[in-house]
Amino acid sequence: MSSPIPAIEIENLTYAYGRQAEAIRGFNLTVQPGHCYGLFGRNGAGKTTTIKCLLNLLRPQRGNVRVFGLDPREHEVEVKRRLAYVPDQVAFYPWMSVRETLDYLASFRAHWNGKTEHELLERFRLDPSQRTATLSKGQRTQVALIAAVCPEPDLLLLDEPTSGLDPIVRREFIETVIGAYQEGDPGNRTILVSTHLITEFEGLIDEFTIMDRGHAVVALNADQARERYQKIRVRFAQSAPELDLSTAFHVRRAGRDLELIVNGGGPELIDRLQKHSPEALSTEALTLEEIFVAESRRPE
Amino acid sequence: MLLQLNYKSGKPVYLQVVDQIKTAAASGALKPGEALPCIRPLAEELRVNRNTIAKAYSELESMGVIETLPGKGCFLKENHSPFRKEVRRKMLIQEIDQAVVQAHHLQVPRDEFLQLIHDRIAVFDQKRRASENNGED
Repeated sequence: MSSPIPAIEIENLTYAYGRQAEAIRGFNLTVQPGHCYGLFGRNGAGKTTTIKCLLNLLRPQRGNVRVFGLDPREHEVEVKRRLAYVPDQVAFYPWMSVRETLDYLASFRAHWNGKTEHELLERFRLDPSQRTATLSKGQRTQVALIAAVCPEPDLLLLDEPTSGLDPIVRREFIETVIGAYQEGDPGNRTILVSTHLITEFEGLIDEFTIMDRGHAVVALNADQARERYQKIRVRFAQSAPELDLSTAFHVRRAGRDLELIVNGGGPELIDRLQKHSPEALSTEALTLEEIFVAESRRPE
Repeated sequence: MLLQLNYKSGKPVYLQVVDQIKTAAASGALKPGEALPCIRPLAEELRVNRNTIAKAYSELESMGVIETLPGKGCFLKENHSPFRKEVRRKMLIQEIDQAVVQAHHLQVPRDEFLQLIHDRIAVFDQKRRASENNGED
């Protein structure tokens, strides 16, 4: 049996706005079907530009982009038929009610799960007759999420979907993605979430890429990352001895105390530190957000 | 039974779910035949990828720890494992070997190690008895 076509395949993507420096350069990313992929990066790292290339809003200047094995420009309708997009700034016709908005958006879709729509409207306590202009940001995101989930697309593209939302709404958003979206066809429902709010997506993410200044800095499986990245704290009885700390990419010193972050090679480094009979030594794993912060602070 | 995930433990999420359910079963926090949340509700509650929970439950089912009854839900299995006795013993020997190696690394002498095993079994027995007594109230 041949391997499945990736839901998203980005190869050597390069894009620059006007004459400025490249917003994305030599960027690679592969998302297999059924996976949830995190695209992390600071503001301006190139995440939204990448998503725009997937949606054929921008054309790659070098490299290529494939969604379900198809070029989003040559097969625009076929690609868009199979995906749904929830952006950060959600825009509806302000004079339309929630009901009218959903009916309008449903009219563009071959398939629409009315039962899911009803359940989600109830769960979010939305008033179908309310005009979208008077909805709060959280409610607008909820309507956008309903519109994205009801067509039951193979791919969900989320671009900073929870920024500016209160913690309850953010949690309900994640629960809805897991329940209403993933459950329908778990092996086939693919998610790409681009965000800098990593903590709440931590449980959802299978794999991630950290993007910095247009290129991929780290691309890892989430479980492997949690195993590899370690924070080691060590205190020596006298001042810290001369040590080869080249395997640690982040070192903090304060007198007799050292704090190190490693990506792999933790046990060997701990062995070497033990040989100097430290007064105290402890290790802990890092959350995805801490990994992101540590990698983003790495000197060039 | 409430599960707690720790993203700072370095342990894969699905394994945390598997281990916590196994521990709950061993200590009586979950009783044989007692209901467990099924995959979707548990994934939503923990805000974890549904496939991660599915992987954990699949492993627990193949280990004979839980079972899914269509239309009824997920339950902790009554105390029989589908594995033959030799297979069960072999699986336990692997775990015991790991503990023996650890004891050596941590310089815990043999007699102390054996005493610790007795003590730990007693602790679990006590927990199980305590939760059974609570059930009777």
